[in-house]
Amino acid sequence: MSEAAVMQPDTQFIQRVMASGGGDLKKCYQCATCSVACELSPEESPFPRRQMIRAQWGLKPQLMSDPALWLCHNCGICTTRCPRGARPGDVLGALRREAIRQFAFPQFMGSLVASPKALPLLFALPTLIFLAIAHWAPKGQVTPHLEFANVFPIPILEALFFTVSGFVLLAFAVGLVRCIRTMRTGGATGKIMQGLLPALRQIMTHQRFWMCDARNWSLGHLLTLWGFAGLAVVGTVAGIGTMAGFLHTPLPLTNGLKLFANASAVVILCGGLILLATRMQDPVKRVGSTYFDWFFLAVLVGVVLTGIMAELTRLEQAAAVMYPVYFVHLVLIFSLFLYAPYSKFAHLAYRTVAMAAAGPWTPKPQVAERARESSAAGAVTTTH
Amino acid sequence: MDRKLGVYICSGCGIGESVDTAKLANVATREFKAPVCRVHPFLCSSEGVEAIRQDIAAGAVNTLVIAACSPRMKTEAFSFDHTAVSERVNLREQVAWCHKPQDEDTEMLAEDCLRVGIVKAQKTELPEPLLETISRKLLVVGGGLTGITAALEGAEAGYEVVLVEKEPRLGGFVATLRKRFPTAAPYNELMTDGMARRIEAVSYHPRIQVLTSAKVARIEGQPGLFDVTLRTESGESRVRVGAIVLATGWKPYDATRLGHLGYGLSPDVITNVDLEKMAAQGSIKRPSDGRPVESVLFIQCAGSRDKEHLPYCSTVCCMATLKHATYIREQNSSAQVYIIYKDMRTPGQYERFYATVQAHPLNFLTQGEVTNVEKTAAGKLAVTVKSTLLAETITLEVDLVVLATGMVPNSADGEAIRALEDAERAAAKGESETQRAEAAKKVEELRKHKGTEILNLTYRQGPDLPVLRHGFPDSHFVCFPYETRRTGIYTAGAVRAPMDSRQAAEDALGAALKAIQCIELASQGRAVHPRAGDLSVPSFLLQRCTQCKRCTEECPFGALDEDAKGTPKPNPYRCRRCGICMGACPERIVSFRNYSVDMIASMIKAIEVPEEDEEKFRVLAFVCENDAYPALDIAGMKRRQYDASVRIIPLRCLGSLNIVWIADALSRGIDGVMLIGCKYGDDYQCHFIRGSELAQRRLENVKETLQRLQLESERLQFVQLSINESDTLPTQIDNFVNRVRELGPNPYKGL
Repeated sequence: MSEAAVMQPDTQFIQRVMASGGGDLKKCYQCATCSVACELSPEESPFPRRQMIRAQWGLKPQLMSDPALWLCHNCGICTTRCPRGARPGDVLGALRREAIRQFAFPQFMGSLVASPKALPLLFALPTLIFLAIAHWAPKGQVTPHLEFANVFPIPILEALFFTVSGFVLLAFAVGLVRCIRTMRTGGATGKIMQGLLPALRQIMTHQRFWMCDARNWSLGHLLTLWGFAGLAVVGTVAGIGTMAGFLHTPLPLTNGLKLFANASAVVILCGGLILLATRMQDPVKRVGSTYFDWFFLAVLVGVVLTGIMAELTRLEQAAAVMYPVYFVHLVLIFSLFLYAPYSKFAHLAYRTVAMAAAGPWTPKPQVAERARESSAAGAVTTTH
Repeated sequence: MDRKLGVYICSGCGIGESVDTAKLANVATREFKAPVCRVHPFLCSSEGVEAIRQDIAAGAVNTLVIAACSPRMKTEAFSFDHTAVSERVNLREQVAWCHKPQDEDTEMLAEDCLRVGIVKAQKTELPEPLLETISRKLLVVGGGLTGITAALEGAEAGYEVVLVEKEPRLGGFVATLRKRFPTAAPYNELMTDGMARRIEAVSYHPRIQVLTSAKVARIEGQPGLFDVTLRTESGESRVRVGAIVLATGWKPYDATRLGHLGYGLSPDVITNVDLEKMAAQGSIKRPSDGRPVESVLFIQCAGSRDKEHLPYCSTVCCMATLKHATYIREQNSSAQVYIIYKDMRTPGQYERFYATVQAHPLNFLTQGEVTNVEKTAAGKLAVTVKSTLLAETITLEVDLVVLATGMVPNSADGEAIRALEDAERAAAKGESETQRAEAAKKVEELRKHKGTEILNLTYRQGPDLPVLRHGFPDSHFVCFPYETRRTGIYTAGAVRAPMDSRQAAEDALGAALKAIQCIELASQGRAVHPRAGDLSVPSFLLQRCTQCKRCTEECPFGALDEDAKGTPKPNPYRCRRCGICMGACPERIVSFRNYSVDMIASMIKAIEVPEEDEEKFRVLAFVCENDAYPALDIAGMKRRQYDASVRIIPLRCLGSLNIVWIADALSRGIDGVMLIGCKYGDDYQCHFIRGSELAQRRLENVKETLQRLQLESERLQFVQLSINESDTLPTQIDNFVNRVRELGPNPYKGL
């Protein structure tokens, strides 16, 4: 009897990948130009050549367990170099989408968030929730100045967002366990707890981003990440502080936490706008953009914009505008949170563990060399 | 002929600056008493040429020696339409451009060149052309795409054509196809054959006679005069033709030898040809149970590019498989198609078809090596593939396995058939029991060739074309496509090399034009490639023939038949004028009017060999005209310098080297002899196929001569050279001269 198990391509998987950004997948003829062009591809197990043929053959388990999906930073250099127009960068993007869907808990949420058809439903949920709050919730005391709490009482929002956060954390935890288990079957043996810290350091400094050809948008991505981290800290502190009663929102503009929050908002706004502009102005189409990408980016930038606008209109005490804007802000922030484990947001978690699971990374000699040169020259964005 | 020698020396292109042309003129006028000798600064100018023409017209000269550039240059300017014997002396590329100017040795070289040239001219007679009445009819053997196209092209060029097909219908393999893979823009959809139109055109063409269910029973004679006996159901007929195109196509590789790929294991393991047949007859089903095919796996290079089977690539199987995948897809949009390849080879625009087929989500391709094919309990076929691009060994279960087998030429090995006949005769009347046993063993070995005859030539060397590697009756596929080793017979299509229909159609045109060229040259009594236009033919002084059969066996083109005793019977129209027979003959009875043993011997004698005390060495180089001589010219053009003690004697082919010349040279005191010929072996470059190889073999016999003369064997060197090695040639020459210097002067000097 033959030694290998009988292989059966998952044809639905192929069709899904092709439908969600990997439409040129079948054009690949395995020349491996992509793996050579990629500056992040490790020499001992290069990507994305192998991932391309596995996707062509519908080998879902082999792909879902492959940390390489997450090691790719989506710079698109492989796509620009591909002689057949197979767009390996976009295929990897589609595969990441599939992985997020596969690891999703509960599963149906994964399919829902990935589907453009479900978009009205996704927004309908928070819209209804916040309309209901605005309509039925018991109103607080009348304050000397107009506050959002007049319409959206803080205790109710606190309760709602702590519940959502708890659910999101659970969903992420299940997703991560699924992801790690799958990767273990695929032979990724790195010690995750040990690898986590170096991985986080690399992520926070964007070390790989600067080395790879994604330099053009690494600044946008870095600012977004840092701004987000800042806002996450502010949100957590403010949430707990309000609940514990030692903080009262709105904080005065001179408050240290408020200053930090506003600074973070500006940072993430700049980052988000750079990312948006990069996607919109990609003249050579080196990186394809799908519904999945736009959904996440639009919600993220929307949250920041409406947040800043809400703050400004509140300072202006423009009653006719501040409440509707804040309402939209709440809807978007709810969407960003609740759908995080199923949207592109989730790459933050999966990439982190994948980098840890894949073990230490040695850049190709020529990449390391160039990185040394550019840091010596004090320039980060060198052309090549 | 009353010789009136005219020597014309050009002093242009640096010759005058390099050598003293006045001294050269003295050689002509004093040593050779040339009545006319002119030095001209620009001999190839209209004025210079006109002076020569006037001398000829005035009857002042009839034997010209033009000492100027290489005979490969200015051929039109110095062509005198056989109104006079004309010989060129190469003072430019091989003297002025590659040796030290105004040097004693260069001067001596130039003088020797002139002496040799003058002697050669004096020994040259104008050839008398052959004057038979030539048939302008073409015979095309094989009525497939190639044969039909060759017949149409020949007929459209105005020639009568007889087209012979052994099957009852025309069209060959291509006519049996359901569809053809795309050979024209946009290269992404299958094409219907277009064969019907061609068959109709050939069937009703006024200049084409089509014979189906017909075979070639016998071909006698020579180009221009082939007498062909054709056998049909209604009996035998005879026709005289001028040239022949062999377009007998191919047959699939014997799949029964592919057991390791599952052939024979199940009726569901078939070949690509089987699949095509099934598709042409209707739908593709599982042969075992007639059920529809839900999954199929193609094994590319099944027995191809494989040392155990066909070592070559048949060029069409990749495209054929992509076509077959399309057949499957047309029939069943949800079928899974697997293609396991060594490399997908779809050159040029064919790549578009590859991309088109590959684009389907249910077509799966990978490189890999099939290690096992077996039946499963459910009646499917499990195929195990290792070394895949998926980075794992995989097993696939499919309904149908298709082996993409390669092309084998439909040829007959004429030389093997002849050897078989010889062995059969020997076995019948072997003188001793061991001889009989040996012959019987040989008969057994060659038995498979019996009954494979196609052309049934009545040639001494066998009834069909000699084949080269892998059974292709080719000559040299890079340099001389369509040429075979039988003059006037040209191969086209898949019998010549594996090819697809588009290439085959082009090939047919090429071969038809070669056949026409052969007819036209034969009608003028001229040689075909590579000495195209040569009017000379060898003559045999048969009174002195000892029936040693060397000439009849060594002629690479089978030009010589034999009578019962073994005396050669020349067929001059088959002859390519290489002179290999002349080199082969120990009795030296073969000669041309412009090339003979005596001529070269006299040229060697014309070289002045300095006395030993002059301390000047002389090395003679016999140089092949086809590759080595042009390589020397190129070295000259590049101004590469080499030792001036070398005297070049060009030969038509190193195979025409008669070993008596080496003995002549050494006994005259020449210090060393080089033979520079083409590369031989499987990738030979010899224009006459075996010339340099034969020369090398004859050299073995010379070693005895050397021993008798008590000379070192290092005084002889054989060099295999191709035309693109002009850069290394000067070094090789210098090294040889230096080695000879180390050996010291030839002790026979001055004797």
